[in-house]
Amino acid sequence: MSSRFSLKDLEKLNSRYSIFTSLTSEKEVDAEFVFSAKDNLASKDFETRAGSKILEGYAPGFDATPIKKMRKAGGFLAGKTNMDEFGFGTFSTNSAYGIPKNPFDLNRSCGGSSGGAACIAAIIEDHVALGVSTGGSIVCPASFCGVFGISPTYGRVSRYGLVDYGNSLDKVGILSAKAANLTKYLPIIAGKDPKDPTSCVQPEMRKNLRKIKSVAIPKEAIEGISKGVMESFRSALDVLKSMSIDVEYVNMPSLKYAIPAYYVIATSEASTNLARYCGMRYGQQDGDLALKFDDYFSSIRSKYFGDEAKRRILLGTFTRMVGYADRYYNKALQVREIIIVEYKNIFKTHDAIVTPTMPFVSPRFDEISKMSALQSYKADFLTVPPNISGTPHLSVPCGYSDGMPVGMQFIADHWNEDLLLSAATEWEKAFDIRHPEVKL
Amino acid sequence: MDREVVERVARIARLNLTEEELEKYSIDLSEILEYFQLLDEAPESKEFNFNPVEIADILREDIPSMEIPANELLKKMKTYDDFIRGPRIS
Repeated sequence: MSSRFSLKDLEKLNSRYSIFTSLTSEKEVDAEFVFSAKDNLASKDFETRAGSKILEGYAPGFDATPIKKMRKAGGFLAGKTNMDEFGFGTFSTNSAYGIPKNPFDLNRSCGGSSGGAACIAAIIEDHVALGVSTGGSIVCPASFCGVFGISPTYGRVSRYGLVDYGNSLDKVGILSAKAANLTKYLPIIAGKDPKDPTSCVQPEMRKNLRKIKSVAIPKEAIEGISKGVMESFRSALDVLKSMSIDVEYVNMPSLKYAIPAYYVIATSEASTNLARYCGMRYGQQDGDLALKFDDYFSSIRSKYFGDEAKRRILLGTFTRMVGYADRYYNKALQVREIIIVEYKNIFKTHDAIVTPTMPFVSPRFDEISKMSALQSYKADFLTVPPNISGTPHLSVPCGYSDGMPVGMQFIADHWNEDLLLSAATEWEKAFDIRHPEVKL
Repeated sequence: MDREVVERVARIARLNLTEEELEKYSIDLSEILEYFQLLDEAPESKEFNFNPVEIADILREDIPSMEIPANELLKKMKTYDDFIRGPRIS
């Protein structure tokens, strides 16, 4: 099977939706399959800027392991997809290279931070988009754009070549309009890689996919959900029951601490990772070298980091400072452990946990611009728990409210991606998925 | 977080902030840290790790290798006589 596409089509789509930060220069391509990669994955042939001005001009000259594996499997890399700067966002509005527009409504967000990936996955049915999640950056945009998105167990896919956001949280996964693409390509990008030691402890992925027989819904996860999303979610639960899946409500009291714990860990790690961007070696290097090193580094960083990057650097630097680390960072690590223990207890009696993926459908850009930083952080309260605990999770389209897609999130125990892949396949058979009307 | 603290944190993080930024981040970070007080009431755990799954030390064979030639990397940097140029250190 081959996937043909014309560059002109992608260029037209890109001018309307701001999907890509860079596109292939090939005129016509005949490949086994076509894929894209989020722009925080290093790649030959393309700059890698992670949505940031500070990385403008950075051409890594090597492929991140997941890209290398996709190319080896016969894939053609069509381009690098747009994203919030370094992954810092829920709506992809924090990119220095335009804002991806939702294919169901141009006035609404694609979600973040893998917004461009979800957008192209929704528009081109066969497309396979590599995304990256730190706190929900695969399932959130998958939910807003009405596609499947899987974020595997932490360590399942090598992070070699990934521009780090939070080292203990980052995971590479897949978004596609077809469940079969998740099943086919996740095993291709997964596996041990000596270049990323955290990938080397993983058990092999199960080839025979087990079906989910029972799911749990934490009562705390269905508080504060919009009416439209809740209606779709309840209907989806009826569909699960019709698929002979037991549905049971449970308690998970630690969920209310997930947001602060996640943002402390994520920004602490991000603030150290971003220390490397100082006008030497990567990207922008146009500072005045006659300056003293501190002044040189500060001048480049102040000029090129965006608003949200600065906010998270400040927050993460503060929470690691002497006198505050015990209160914030060390306590957040303890909360992470408690969330993992509570998940494991639920997984003793249930195959998976289900919740809505996001508490609302994709908001309009004018609504997003009125949100405070804290309000947008809190929007992640359903996607952060599986991310802080490193558990694999999946979003499937489960309904439509005001014409916009609603997502349902499945969470499984560490290394049990097979349960999620079979859930995606079975769900696709049971639910009538809508595709956006896009004219070239 | 008052402006003086934001200024001190920014200095540590190598960021020069404008008056407007100082004001904005002071308000935002105060609101965020107030919400983070939730952590104070969270239960404690005696055991915790820095990663969500168990990580083992994996060492590669001690064989020298270079996948990308140094001269290729240098092309992307500011150099003088094949040395990387940087700012003054004193």
